Amino acid sequence: MSKKILIIFSVIVLLVGGLFVACDEEDDDVNGNGEPPVTKDEIIFGGSRPITGGNAIWEEVGFGPLYRLWISEVNAAGGLYIAEYGTSLPIVYEGYIYDDTSDIGTMTRQLERLMTVDEVDFVLSPASTASLFAGAPIFSKYEYVMLCAEGGATSIEDQLYALPYFFGVLNYSNRYQLPVFADLCLELGIDEVAMIWIQDLHGIEYAGVAATEFANAGIEVLMSKSVPPDVSDVSLLLLEAQASGADALCMFAYPDQNFLIIGTMIGMGINFDAILVGPGGNISALPGIFGPNIEGLMFEGAWNCNSTPGAQAFCDLFDSVYPPGTGDWWGHILYWGGVQFFEQAIVEAGTLDNTVIRDVMATSTFDTVLGPTWFDMFGDGGGLLAIECHAGEIGQWQNMVPEVIDPPNQYGEKRTADPWYPKPDWPTE
Amino acid sequence: MDITTFTSNKKFWIWGISLLAVLAALATLPQWLGSYYVILLKDILMLVLITVSWVIFSGPTGYMSLASAAFFGVGVYTSALLLPMTGAVLPLLLVIVIAGLVSFILGLLAGALTLRLKGIYFAVFTFGLVLLIQRFLLWFEMNITHTRGRFVLLVEDNTIFYVMLAIFVATLLTAYFIRRSKFGLALQSIGLNEEAAAHSGVNVTRVKVITFAISAVFMGAAGAIYATKLTYIDPYIAFNPLFSFLPVLMAIFGGLGSFYGPIIGAALFSYLQEFLKTEFPFQYMIIFGLLLMAVIVFMPRGLVGLVQRLLASLKEGPEEKSTPGWAIIFCLFGILGGLVGWFIFRERRGARVLLKAGGVVTLIGGAAYLLMFLLTLLGGLGGGYF
Repeated sequence: MSKKILIIFSVIVLLVGGLFVACDEEDDDVNGNGEPPVTKDEIIFGGSRPITGGNAIWEEVGFGPLYRLWISEVNAAGGLYIAEYGTSLPIVYEGYIYDDTSDIGTMTRQLERLMTVDEVDFVLSPASTASLFAGAPIFSKYEYVMLCAEGGATSIEDQLYALPYFFGVLNYSNRYQLPVFADLCLELGIDEVAMIWIQDLHGIEYAGVAATEFANAGIEVLMSKSVPPDVSDVSLLLLEAQASGADALCMFAYPDQNFLIIGTMIGMGINFDAILVGPGGNISALPGIFGPNIEGLMFEGAWNCNSTPGAQAFCDLFDSVYPPGTGDWWGHILYWGGVQFFEQAIVEAGTLDNTVIRDVMATSTFDTVLGPTWFDMFGDGGGLLAIECHAGEIGQWQNMVPEVIDPPNQYGEKRTADPWYPKPDWPTE
Repeated sequence: MDITTFTSNKKFWIWGISLLAVLAALATLPQWLGSYYVILLKDILMLVLITVSWVIFSGPTGYMSLASAAFFGVGVYTSALLLPMTGAVLPLLLVIVIAGLVSFILGLLAGALTLRLKGIYFAVFTFGLVLLIQRFLLWFEMNITHTRGRFVLLVEDNTIFYVMLAIFVATLLTAYFIRRSKFGLALQSIGLNEEAAAHSGVNVTRVKVITFAISAVFMGAAGAIYATKLTYIDPYIAFNPLFSFLPVLMAIFGGLGSFYGPIIGAALFSYLQEFLKTEFPFQYMIIFGLLLMAVIVFMPRGLVGLVQRLLASLKEGPEEKSTPGWAIIFCLFGILGGLVGWFIFRERRGARVLLKAGGVVTLIGGAAYLLMFLLTLLGGLGGGYF
């Protein structure tokens, strides 16, 4: 290489570098001067979301597609009308969604950054139950509304009285999935069950609540065994469950483990009269993964396009934007109802002040895809979506379509199809 | 070198006063920095002190310990037990001290059991310790206490920062004085040749076990105060294997051969991670991976080794055939960053940041490249580079 070429190369590099830096000169953060804006031309949403790591699936197929769809719909309609500014403002989130790498320490730090440095108008909730628990005190500290999506557990309920900005939308174990499943077992004549659960918060929670609900319903638990998240062989466990003579098998684990269990059962030809699949059983990609083997599998959730008067329109909208297999028959309708509720609360408040919006959310009922929607508040603290607003708790794959099979209860009639019982045998090739 | 002799050394006082000035500056930061920067700084201090703690033992002896996550997690859990959200059982500082002590005892026990192992066996065993404690606690929580994670008392950010700073200072002082003491000499001799060290009168096992346990103290204390920021923990969060591997990476990044190498390496590494996670959330894994590869390939002695090489070049002229590959790498990353920014210009803020980062990196790389070139010309060592 000659000296002349190297000199030219060096000069070019310096010029290019200088140009890049110069391009940045006009950069001015919207909130950079620390002064409250007199006028505003956009609403900024930020978020610490799991773009990489173990929870990345939630950003891919959980709340991720929903908040992006909602924001694009709001912007297509001209933005949100904010009376304080006398105009409709579009929502911006590009550049304010950080990767928490599925790490809670990183997530808490990024939340602080969004709230104190970027000073965004609203912050999307992080993903996973543990992240919600760790993030909730930060939302409350800086008085940001926390519209929680992917996560929820009984153990947060005691804390909610001190977390006034927490608004959980997802249903979970005791609220009100497992009470409904126990009722369903009674209806179907299931009186002996086996449980396989994951060794973490989710598994402990579901196994614990299920044990209580089954005991209350007079259902005997013949086997209750846990598996680590990295389990790679469940054949012995399944043989034990089969040998127990249980009518139903419950899998309180995550997609990785649940898919392993389903695949192993198909391979070994082990079947039960009822099989309840935890997270993963609800995803619309399931028919593509297991084909006709999914027939009769029950799952936690649950909703379908006939669940509510607005559900079909939501299904059509979602399908027009996202490819088949990205839907979620557990959380999506709840998340959509949640953001519709939030949208109306912001407009009703007429301000971007989260404290005002929080009060509107705590005291209002709005019409959403779920129908009339409100939150059950915990004293002066946070709230959880009212059980009456849930689209359903237990689903079942029937003719490759998800159906809600909840027995009627005091919270309403959610069933879209009668349950299949016993579950059909695994199809033979 | 004797401690007394050493403290009369002029270099010691220069370094000591400089360090004090830096610490004094750090101590005033919460007064004028926003809470995010205080938290970020606290996290950087934490990673630096974990790295330095790791280096106290693994640096001189060459034993690759992967037990850091175990010591750190024990601290986290101590905090969860003694500082529950429902109300502190003991004062915060006492909990920090207890966490350090518990980690020390764990270090003693683990060290006594494992330090007769060498090489890969020791590394595997220490990592096994992390998983063993994690799984034991899971079993205990599931079957004995029936708890589903634990909420930890929320502590004010500035308090967390000052406690972390205090642990950081204690770690640095301990590392420094161990390194410069007869004890440190014994450790180095163990690293060079364990049998020879034993024959020259060093109680090899005792030195190793005690140092291993001392290094655990600071990790445990850091874990205890870190838990108060997380506010919610479970065994997976507390015993995150990442904390076993990060200190190793950070020490290599900075350079294992010197006292300040791991400090600089850990500080830069953690800031770089934060910067990439927030400004390049969709590309950071690729950029970070490439940067690490570049460091390993072009800077085998870490950042400090690079600086030493540059200083040597200034003094004596560049080494034969020492093509400044790292400078070219900087240039390429800069140009790449700028181009990516240009291509996604419609993403306004992201593009600005990319342009800025690309520009800065390009400028650094370009300037360094030009400097090396000029040095070559001035030194009349044309054959060195070209």
